[in-house]
Amino acid sequence: MSEQENQAARLAREIAANTEKVFKATQLIANTRDEEVKVGTTPKHLVMRRDKVELFRYEPLAQQTVSTPVLVAYGLVGRYTMADLQPDRSLVRSLLNKGLDLWLIDWGQPGRNERWLTIDDYVDDYIDAAVDRIRRETGHDRVTLLGICEGGVFTVCYAALHPEKVKNLVITITPIDFHADVNDKAAHHGFINLWTRSLDPADIDKLVETYGVLPGEFMSSVFSMMTPMRSLTKYNFDLIDVVDDEDKFMNFLRMEKWLADRPHHPGEAAKQWLKELYQDNRLIDGTFELSGRRVDLKSITAPVLNVFALDDHIIPPDCSRALGGKIGSSDYTEIPLPGGHVGLFVSSKSQGKLSQNIADWLVARE
Amino acid sequence: MSDKTQTGYAAGSAADWSNLWQSMAESSSRMVEAWSGSIAPFMMSRVSEKTTGEVNDLSAAIERMAQGPQLADVWDFDRKLALAFGAWIDLRARLASYNAVASAPWTEASRQFLEAMSKSKTESLGWRDMFAKWAEISNQELIKNQRTDAFLKAQKELLQAALQYRSRQNDVSDAISALFDLPTRRDLDEVTRQLTELRREVRALRRETAQSKGQP
Repeated sequence: MSEQENQAARLAREIAANTEKVFKATQLIANTRDEEVKVGTTPKHLVMRRDKVELFRYEPLAQQTVSTPVLVAYGLVGRYTMADLQPDRSLVRSLLNKGLDLWLIDWGQPGRNERWLTIDDYVDDYIDAAVDRIRRETGHDRVTLLGICEGGVFTVCYAALHPEKVKNLVITITPIDFHADVNDKAAHHGFINLWTRSLDPADIDKLVETYGVLPGEFMSSVFSMMTPMRSLTKYNFDLIDVVDDEDKFMNFLRMEKWLADRPHHPGEAAKQWLKELYQDNRLIDGTFELSGRRVDLKSITAPVLNVFALDDHIIPPDCSRALGGKIGSSDYTEIPLPGGHVGLFVSSKSQGKLSQNIADWLVARE
Repeated sequence: MSDKTQTGYAAGSAADWSNLWQSMAESSSRMVEAWSGSIAPFMMSRVSEKTTGEVNDLSAAIERMAQGPQLADVWDFDRKLALAFGAWIDLRARLASYNAVASAPWTEASRQFLEAMSKSKTESLGWRDMFAKWAEISNQELIKNQRTDAFLKAQKELLQAALQYRSRQNDVSDAISALFDLPTRRDLDEVTRQLTELRREVRALRRETAQSKGQP
C-alpha cells in the first residue's frame, strides 16, 4: 500500500472506532440513572435550619486530632458539593480522615424569595448564628472558619467583624483584591473581573431588578465562555475519551451534576458582590461595609492560611495573594498549589495535597 | 468473495478515502484562503452595522410612539406590547452585532491552523493530534478576542438589550396578572422585601435580648 493509502486506511479505522465510541457513550448515558450519580455523600446530620440555610455536622471518620470545630462555608455561585464530589475526591472526607471536627453551612437553593438578602445577612446573621450554635454544641469559645471562593470572602469579613469568635481562618481560592487580575499575564485568567468592570453599575441593577437574582444559568454561560473550546468539545471529543473507563465516565457525570446544580445568587447580595467588590474593589481598600460597620482587614487577629491555585482562571492567584500584609495577624501562611479553580478540589493530582496542608497547619495551631 | 478480492476492495476503498480526504482538505484550504483574502470579513461587520442601524431606526420609532402621553382608558396594554416588540427588534440587532464580533476569530484560527499544518509532517499526525492543534489555536484566538474593546462593547450592549426585552416582557405579564386579579411579580417582590426586613428586625431584637441576658 502506498503511504497515501495507509493514511486513508488509518483514518477509516479511526472513524470507525470513534463512531463506535459515540454509540457506546449514547448507550452509557441512556442506561445510567441520575440517582446513580451521587455527589456530596459523606455522612452528615442536620443541626440547625434558618430560612433556607442549613448547618450540618459531619460524622467523624477518624480519631480526633484537632478539637477546635471547623466550619466550611462555600460561596453562593455554586454548591458546596464541589468539596465532596466523590469519596476519593473529597476535601471534606480527607479532612475527616485526618481527625477534624467538620461542620458545613449549606446556603440551599436561593430563589426570587431571597432577592433582598445581602452579604450582611449571610455574614452577620447566617454565619454568626451557625458559629454561635457550634460554640454551644461543642463548648468551644472560638471556631475555625474554612471559606471557599465567595465563601472565603464571607469568612474574611466575619473574622474581621467578629474576631473574638474566630480561632483560625483558612481561605481557599478567595478573591481579596478584585482588580489584581490586571497583573496576570495569562490571557485566560480573570474574565469575570474584566467583564464585570466593562458593565455600568446600572446594568447590574437592571439585571437584579429584572430577574430578582443573578440567575444560575447566566453564571453557567459566563463560566462556559471562559473556556470556549473546552465548552465546545465537552460533550463530544471529551466524552468519547472516557467511555472505555467506567470510573472516568462516572467522574464526568458527577462533575456535570455539580455544574448543573448552580443556584441563583440572591439579588441584593449579587449587587454588593459585583458592584462594591468586583467593580469598586472595596474590600482591599477598606471601604466595604456590612451592617453599618466597615470591614477592616487589620481587625483580623486570628492566624490565617491562604490557599490558592496557580492556574485559577476564575480567581487569578494575585487576587488571592493580596491578603498578605493587609491583616492584623502576624501568623499568615500562603500556600500556592498547582491546578485550577475547581481542579484544586477535584483533580486526581491535587488529592491529598490541599487537605494535608490544611490539617498540618491546624494541628500546629491546636 | 475471496481474500484477494477483499484485499483489493479494501485497497481500492482506502484509495478512494484518501482521494476524498485530500480533495476535501484542498477545498477547505481554498475556501479559507478565499474568505480571509476577500472582503468577506469586512462585509460581515458592515452587514451587522447596517442591520443594527436600520433596526435601531425601527425600534426607535416604536419607542417614540409608545413613549407618548399615557391615556387613562385606552392604549396602555398595546403600548406595553409595542415596547416589548421594539425591545425584541433591538435585541435581534444586538445579537447580530455580537455574533459578528464573536465569530471573527475563527477566520484567524483557520489561517493559523493551515499554516501550522503546512509546516508540520501531517502524515505522521492522527486526526486527534490535528484536532488538538486546531482546538489549541482556536481557544487562543477566541480568548484573545474576548478581551478586546469591540467584544466588551458588543457583549455589554447585548446584555442591556436582553434585559430591556425581559423587563418589558415582565411589564406585559404584570399587566395580564393584574387583569385577572392575580398578584404580580412586583407584588411578590414587595412581600418578600417586607418579610426580609421584618425577619431582620425580629432577629436583631432577639440578639439584643440574648445579649442583655448574657447569652452567646
